[in-house]
Amino acid sequence: MRTTVTGLRAWLVQRVTAVYMLLFILLFLAHAIVDPPHSYPAWRAWLMNSGVSIATGVFFAALLAHAWVGVRDVIIDYVHPVALRVCLLALLGFGLAAMAAWVMRILWMLHG
Amino acid sequence: MPVSSNRRPVFLNLAKIQMPVGSLTSITHRVTGMLLAVGVPFCIYLLDLSLQGPLGYGQAIATLDNLWVKGMLILLIWALAHHLLAGVRHLLSDIDIGSQLPAARRSAWIVNLGGVGVALLAAGALL
Amino acid sequence: MRFSIFRYNPERDEKPYMQAFEVDLEPTDRMLLDAILRIKDTRDDSLTLRKSCREGVCGSDAMNINGRNGLACVTPLRELREPVELRPLPSFPVIRDLVVDMTQFFKQYHSIKPYLVNDEDPPEKERPQSPQERDKLDGSYECILCACCTSQCPSSWWNPDKFVGPAGLIQAYRFIVDSRDRATQERLDDLNDPYRLFRCRTIMNCTEVCPKGLSPSRAIERIRLKMLKVDGDDGGMELHRVPPIR
Repeated sequence: MRTTVTGLRAWLVQRVTAVYMLLFILLFLAHAIVDPPHSYPAWRAWLMNSGVSIATGVFFAALLAHAWVGVRDVIIDYVHPVALRVCLLALLGFGLAAMAAWVMRILWMLHG
Repeated sequence: MPVSSNRRPVFLNLAKIQMPVGSLTSITHRVTGMLLAVGVPFCIYLLDLSLQGPLGYGQAIATLDNLWVKGMLILLIWALAHHLLAGVRHLLSDIDIGSQLPAARRSAWIVNLGGVGVALLAAGALL
Repeated sequence: MRFSIFRYNPERDEKPYMQAFEVDLEPTDRMLLDAILRIKDTRDDSLTLRKSCREGVCGSDAMNINGRNGLACVTPLRELREPVELRPLPSFPVIRDLVVDMTQFFKQYHSIKPYLVNDEDPPEKERPQSPQERDKLDGSYECILCACCTSQCPSSWWNPDKFVGPAGLIQAYRFIVDSRDRATQERLDDLNDPYRLFRCRTIMNCTEVCPKGLSPSRAIERIRLKMLKVDGDDGGMELHRVPPIR
């Protein structure tokens, strides 16, 4: 039963988001080592920079998509009863959606 | 003891099946992925707290002073390091770099030891 | 030499058990298969296994040796840790002793259409193929379907009925790169669902244990690139030195 190219697409999402996150983490670490924000104002100002803000938003989108593919793989591998599998995948989906909403709220409130 | 659908027994005693170094890297990649997935809500919580004002920022920093939290943080740092290194190994393998057996074994060792190395560095810095 | 061998007779035993054997080997007994047959000859002739060519080309005597799958007939005795633990291939239903049910394995193999699909009018003689085109089959055509790879693959353990497995997939690759085949896109589409190919996590147990030195994991990576329509390496794959079983 195959409707869309789900196998390949999921794998590609996992790879592409991984590359983006790798670059983001390396740049983040470099910044944290070279010019760490020592105070609340510095931390806030750094995140409010539009480039950083957007890149961070994209980072979390990538993170949640990556987590979706990864955890779904684990569920597909080990959970065989169909009803249970569907429930767990739904829970996963809702959990990740909730976190996406949470991050959006944080970044939105930042810009007050 | 596991049985197949037609009641024939099956040998699947994981303790008796050899685990080549690459398979250790792989299962740890999965385990660290799950650990990180569980750690994401906490990270978002800390991010939220740290941006709520100077008080929240102070509280966020203060949570990291606790020994238990430090321990958890080191665990998550190990998880991230291993997951990242194993991920890079996978990405390179996808484009046929290090996908032959001798190179794959070497890179598996590097990933396994590298993750632990980073965790030790983090432990040194935090404790 | 000391052995501990998995025994199970469905007519007598409720469940399998390990039986210890001590056997005196002749100087001519070099390979594990020699020792097993020596045990059959001198200790217990009810010990049941499959064996045929005794030279590593038929794949019949694949079994789990000290935790690692291999062919008994080409596994040297000298390097084996004692007591040598012999068990049937992991995750396959055990018919008796070291003989396993290969039905599921062959079902997956047949599901990838392991034959040339070409409905064009056949030429008078053979369908020509240049040496370069023939080279592309190197590293995949040599598979003897012994099932060492698939039975050592965790993804096959958890989803044997849905994941094609390394043996099926390396054979799928063999036909995907065969220039005489005309069903390439159908073959790629058939493998493109969450299970058939994509349960593979590149754990690489398959490549570790293949007694012919093949790399199913590498073939699977190449299939993925083909699905993505990326111009990857199409050339033959080199065989690697098979790690010795200890």
